[in-house]
Amino acid sequence: MIEMSLPSINFSLCNRCGQCVSQCPENALVMTGQGPAFTDPVNCTYCGTCEHLCPTGAIRAPLYVSWRAN
Amino acid sequence: METDAINQTPLFLSLAQETRLIIERRSYIRDYPAGYTLLIEGAPAESCYFLLSGEVRAFRMNPLGRAQVLARFKVGEPINIISLLNQNKINRATIETLSPVTVLVLPAVDFNHLLARYPDFSNLILHHLAERLAKMTDLAAELSLYAVRARLARFLIELADLDPTSSGWTQDEIAAHIGTVRDVVGRLLRDFESAGLIQRQRGQIILLDREKLIQQAQE
Ligand code: SF4
Ligand code: SF4
Repeated sequence: MIEMSLPSINFSLCNRCGQCVSQCPENALVMTGQGPAFTDPVNCTYCGTCEHLCPTGAIRAPLYVSWRAN
Repeated sequence: METDAINQTPLFLSLAQETRLIIERRSYIRDYPAGYTLLIEGAPAESCYFLLSGEVRAFRMNPLGRAQVLARFKVGEPINIISLLNQNKINRATIETLSPVTVLVLPAVDFNHLLARYPDFSNLILHHLAERLAKMTDLAAELSLYAVRARLARFLIELADLDPTSSGWTQDEIAAHIGTVRDVVGRLLRDFESAGLIQRQRGQIILLDREKLIQQAQE
């Protein structure tokens, strides 16, 4: 199984404006009744465009920094 | 519940039993979800918060809406002490939760009472104030002494060395912290990757070459 990190979506902050869905360069998102959802997680490249555009901070693509394990 | 929180939080271990009792009587506990704005810059400073779980960030906005992240606070750290100690008693920054958090809230009047009457409490606050001042001095030095490329290299090393439990930094937050914009961070990360200094795997940035990164950090 491939482990996939995906941007996290906080539905309580989402106003369903649809910017993340329409601007995602990979068409990885679709709008649902609750808010955006991933159509196919493999499509998402974790570019962070959705997070940058989201007006409410509902979608986040955080980066975790570590040293290479020896 | 306040008693448990106060007795189990390392932050309060240095305090006398009597001081802890006063804090317990005058404070209360609140839970907030991730993404919640706990304090708004410019609003009256009404309370001091002690972070019992989770992580928050402090930032300021310029008139164009660009954010400068000033600090992140983790478990055990007091929040809003500088605002409460200032003469105008105005929140100096906006505080936003980065994860679900639990805080112990001590109203300003009780914070002042403890400061005036309980030297162990004043010492604790002074100690945190000194730490915060040292961090702010470091940040000011970073912004004035190093180029953006060096600041990013320094920040990546710092995160990997000192902050493995952080709840992650977005590209916008990294940009705000090192005093630049997101596109520049993205471009520099790509540069570092093609130079073999880092490897990016979706949400992970893996630092590969300490020596070369330190070289970048010093330029
Ligand atoms: S991170 Fe990029 S690819 Fe993934 S959903 Fe957001 S905009 Fe689309
Ligand atoms: S851009 Fe943000 S607020 Fe708008 S639909 Fe996407 S997650 Fe929701």
